[in-house]
Amino acid sequence: MPPKVIAVPKTDPAAYNPNRPAGTLLQAQALHMREALIRHLHEMTTLLNIDMKSLKSEADVSAYVHKATALLHTHAGKPAKK
Amino acid sequence: MSAGLDNLKHIVVLMMENRSFDHMLGSLKQKYPKINGLTGNESNPDTNGAIVKVQQKAQFQSQLDPDPDHHFPGVDLQIFGGASPGPGRVANMQGFVKDYFSQTKDVNRSHNIMYYFDSQKDLPVLSTLATEYAVFNGWFSSIPGPTICNRAFAHYGTSFGQVGMDIFYILDTSIASIYERMIQAGHTAKIYYYDQPSSTMEIVNLLKNQPQIFGTLDQFVSDCAGNTLPEYSFIEPCYNDHPGADGGQILASDQHPDHNVREGERFIANVYNAIRTNPTLWQNTVLLVVYDEHGGIYDHVVPPACTPDGKTASADATGTGEPFAFDRLGIRVPAVLVSPWIPRGTVVPGTEDPANAQIFEHASIPATVTNFFLKGDAKRTAREQQAKTFLGLLTDQMRQDDDCVVFNNLQ
Repeated sequence: MPPKVIAVPKTDPAAYNPNRPAGTLLQAQALHMREALIRHLHEMTTLLNIDMKSLKSEADVSAYVHKATALLHTHAGKPAKK
Repeated sequence: MSAGLDNLKHIVVLMMENRSFDHMLGSLKQKYPKINGLTGNESNPDTNGAIVKVQQKAQFQSQLDPDPDHHFPGVDLQIFGGASPGPGRVANMQGFVKDYFSQTKDVNRSHNIMYYFDSQKDLPVLSTLATEYAVFNGWFSSIPGPTICNRAFAHYGTSFGQVGMDIFYILDTSIASIYERMIQAGHTAKIYYYDQPSSTMEIVNLLKNQPQIFGTLDQFVSDCAGNTLPEYSFIEPCYNDHPGADGGQILASDQHPDHNVREGERFIANVYNAIRTNPTLWQNTVLLVVYDEHGGIYDHVVPPACTPDGKTASADATGTGEPFAFDRLGIRVPAVLVSPWIPRGTVVPGTEDPANAQIFEHASIPATVTNFFLKGDAKRTAREQQAKTFLGLLTDQMRQDDDCVVFNNLQ
């Protein structure tokens, strides 16, 4: 007998809102990224020069976090290692 | 040692964001009396003195905006009902509505903090896992405070004395993260974040120093399918709405208010299915789904005392006028443990059953991983050393394949 299958409803597409104001958690994440950059990547001045006060929306934060992660996590995009 | 423990090769932890136990699973008490949820008579006073009962009216989104307060002073108010810090005050869980009013400035809207889901109807994934495997009546956040310090307990077994969102980790290297402990001992461990625009949350310092620790969710799914999953994995949901690489829309799946709860359900289902659909992996893996903290949302259970971790947060740091010795836990959160070696309907008793209570918190995560894989051999805080571990829930009897559910995420 096959296992019981539980249906999982789709999320309302209207839920997507990258312009939602970034909350304290996301703001803190961006600040942590910046701190890590300062300590480990002094040469990355371009990214560090971004004005943190300009990070108003989730889209703003995600764009910043994306760039920071790409710089910090040099293994990103490579095959996973155990 | 049980047969389930003998077979165990992988521990996977998925930590979601900012929902209380009663908010997500409280309604299950109606059908499953052993689950310490809601009777429907629990209440809080509002700022007009009216009694506000819990109501099964939670919505997936838009109901908890502004984001409910969950910083230390706010949680102190939620737990103690507004009594001034000092000896003799009693925790009564009567300050949630008052605290939310301080943000909403709207008495009616402040009542939203008492709303809870119809779990089986609204949350088919979390409620199914809770009732098909094991649910913890007594898993508490580690600190009555916000995300960063609570998640630190899952990674380090301590927050190094922090009760807020400060950057603590770079200044104190006295306690290694669970990932570093594992790798230094020749074991394997990885943090899977969702993608680069979401990234990892509180241990970004390790991105540069320990890049091999990290992977993406796609890599987790690939590792599950290819039998290359590390011994210990920690999974992070997507923390923000952002465009996908293909131009599509990526929704936050962390369930942090005001992100859509249903998207988090789908995320949990995806993680479960990645393990469940590999028969080999399914037999030798245990999955813990847990929330970092309650997010300011009502729960009726008073947090218990705990072993201090030797740190003290100053009165300035707590914002309450009183220091905090890390000697009591934060508010209760949902936590479920999944494995075919766990009998259906397992309910782990909490404070409602003092004689049999098993109290867990996020330090239980590194404690469990360290005890199982490293035989306890690591420098740890007293708090982590005393934390309850959860692998004792694995039994000698493995359930048949057709006795374990799968999720269809295509509806």
